[in-house]
Amino acid sequence: MKLTYLISFAVLLGFSVVAWVWQPRSDDRRIDLVWTSDDNPARREQVALFNRLNPRYRLRLDPQNATMEKVIVQSLAGVGPDVFDCYDGFQLMAYVQSGIAWDCDAELRARGIAPTDYWPCVYPCTMLDGKMYGTPNNASAPAIWYNKKLLREQGIPYPKAPWTWGRFIETARRLTRRDARGRLIRCGMLMNWLVDWNITIFQFGARFYAPEGTRCVLDSPAAGQAMQFLQDLTFKYRVAPTPSEEAGLSTIGGWGTGSMTQFAGAQAAMTFGGRYWLCILRDEAYRKLELGAVQMPTDGLNVVPGVGRSTLINANSRHKEGALEFLLFLHGKEFCELINHQADAICAVKKYAYTDAYLHDPGFPAEDYNDVWRAALETAIPQEVSPYVNGVTAFRILSKQVDLVKNQAKTGAEAMRDAAKKINREIVEGLRMNPDLRKRYMRAIAAGAPPAWDRPEDAP
Amino acid sequence: MIGAREQAEATGGAERRPPAGPAGRAGGLHSRTRTTLVALAFLLPNLSGFLVFTLWPVFYSLVIAFTNYNLLQAQPHRWIGPANFIKLFHTQDFWLYFINTFYLMLGLPVSIAGSLCLAILLSQRIRGVIVYRTLFYLPSFTAGVALFILWKSLYNPDFGPVNVVIRAAADLLGRNVHGPDWLVSTQNLLGLKVEEVGASAKDFGLGARDALMFMGIWVAIGGSNMLLYIAGLANIPQDLYEAARIDGAGRWALFRHVTWPQLAPTTFFIVVMSLIGGLQGGFDQARVMTLGGPAGTTTTLSYYIYTKAFEDFQIGYASAVAWILFALIFAITLVNWRYGSRYVND
Repeated sequence: MKLTYLISFAVLLGFSVVAWVWQPRSDDRRIDLVWTSDDNPARREQVALFNRLNPRYRLRLDPQNATMEKVIVQSLAGVGPDVFDCYDGFQLMAYVQSGIAWDCDAELRARGIAPTDYWPCVYPCTMLDGKMYGTPNNASAPAIWYNKKLLREQGIPYPKAPWTWGRFIETARRLTRRDARGRLIRCGMLMNWLVDWNITIFQFGARFYAPEGTRCVLDSPAAGQAMQFLQDLTFKYRVAPTPSEEAGLSTIGGWGTGSMTQFAGAQAAMTFGGRYWLCILRDEAYRKLELGAVQMPTDGLNVVPGVGRSTLINANSRHKEGALEFLLFLHGKEFCELINHQADAICAVKKYAYTDAYLHDPGFPAEDYNDVWRAALETAIPQEVSPYVNGVTAFRILSKQVDLVKNQAKTGAEAMRDAAKKINREIVEGLRMNPDLRKRYMRAIAAGAPPAWDRPEDAP
Repeated sequence: MIGAREQAEATGGAERRPPAGPAGRAGGLHSRTRTTLVALAFLLPNLSGFLVFTLWPVFYSLVIAFTNYNLLQAQPHRWIGPANFIKLFHTQDFWLYFINTFYLMLGLPVSIAGSLCLAILLSQRIRGVIVYRTLFYLPSFTAGVALFILWKSLYNPDFGPVNVVIRAAADLLGRNVHGPDWLVSTQNLLGLKVEEVGASAKDFGLGARDALMFMGIWVAIGGSNMLLYIAGLANIPQDLYEAARIDGAGRWALFRHVTWPQLAPTTFFIVVMSLIGGLQGGFDQARVMTLGGPAGTTTTLSYYIYTKAFEDFQIGYASAVAWILFALIFAITLVNWRYGSRYVND
């Protein structure tokens, strides 16, 4: 028996040696770069452009490992990507705190890249404590998509900015259709609660955190009114789907599904969205869709939350020079024009959005609303994060409260009050566990920032 | 009858050992050492994998449960004693998810009873029984994610077949009902509150927790429990039934006094495994169907561990929850062995 095992082992070893000797040798001396980003179809063309412009490198997209937890865990284990995408201020903070994001501020500035080149709303995902950790590669601010055909059928003129929430509700009401049993056939307004609820937070003048991030201030009356407004759109004005109706409209997940395909399928007449929706809506399957876009209604304040995506360099990457080349490419004209043409939101470098090629893309002559997305970006403010609480934890707390508002288990004010209470408790718990963070926090409090606790005995 | 060679192999080659005596003993020791080393060498590939990828992480997780290990902090983690354990016992979410875990296990008795009934049916001498067995076992070798996506569609409040049937039945009775909201509703059959431990009438109804529980029952009935029961039934000696029939036993008496006691070891094994599986369960369903929502009502302890470790990156805290879950499973299994096994041995 032993002999059999030994012979088997020797044979397998022999095969391995033969395979090693005979393995195909490549003459390709290009340096491999790995980029983790989402699986947007536009990404492949962007990769091809970089590889064409930079023949020394071979960039490869790795969409399966693009989530933050995978990037952090793999990078800490030494098998992370060379460059990876970052979507918001919390993620940037997480990457920097975990030692994964490479501080390339000096390198970027030396190559002529300055923060002022970009839309201000993308700063949080790019800059921390005044340092650039990467370059943004697109920017987006929400506006309202509408289906021109459905509006025409109802004899409703296409909305034009500026317009009010009152007119918006009236328009949505006229566009909503229900059957004899009251079941929703088509909603006037489609929302993705998890993403869109913060739009109204800013529009109603509320904030998430005190300026220093030391306290969550969602317990303000304005935040409660903002959340209540969304509940009213669903249950009072009945222009947006209830959770049950939303489930009825839902599709299986994946990039570009959900709200986008529901809107494209004329299940909704209007929806909050961004220019990046065109990556899906330009599909041949939706060629009959007549799209229009208009800026958000406003009853005074004209601010929307802007977002962006930046690309950072892995501090453990063995190809930092190549990674820097990639960041330079993201800042360049060719890439920015490609982003605008692909409608992967809008290019992050402002100057390339003020061109006739952006406004009137000859490839898509029907898209006469590109000025809307640029105007939205002009009024966009960055999303708020606190350095004292894990953004994912805060988001989960908020999502839970949003679920309760959706289910009418709470009013908007109750939900926001409870969300603020829980997030502030989370801040205190975090400070208890982290003495270094507590020192920094206490310095901010001493300088006049509001604390997360109401009673002195609750202080960490 | 076995030959001398087979006999020698069956006894570990004892007949070939050198005779007893000082020299023989030394030779025996040498031989045993050699045998042990050879055995270890063969075990080494598996053992090293087990040590590196299972045993070491398990013990390391116990150590880091007493630290503030957080992947978002570049600085080394510090020893904080039992702070994570104290924190979790004072965290309401932990208790809510603890309750959720047990809520989803409420279907276990039904699924075990269903498996037994199905096994009895499929043990009858009927034509095409193999086909039926295969059909009922099909869900067990279908990928979980595919099943969950299918059930998500079944539970669609407006167009899902479950509510379509409910509405049709209600129409027949002259009632106009919409049907439960299933996966988007926070209501449940016990009226458990969403944000605190307790119950209230307004939370009573059918919701996401019930949807997952019903699905779990369906999946478990035709699964491996059914197969175990079929095997158990096949092993019951027929003469016991014949003797009972001679004594005038009817169908129920046969089941009560022959089948059920004879299946006790199988039932005991199934109960132990189901409890362990139930306490560890809920992750896949939550991940695919609900993301733990709505409002955390389908978050179980295993999903909580995942979110704390790989979304919040609080590895120390997540390890503490994992060890509490282990202690819970261990305690319940001990109680099972202590009190459950007596029925098996009787």
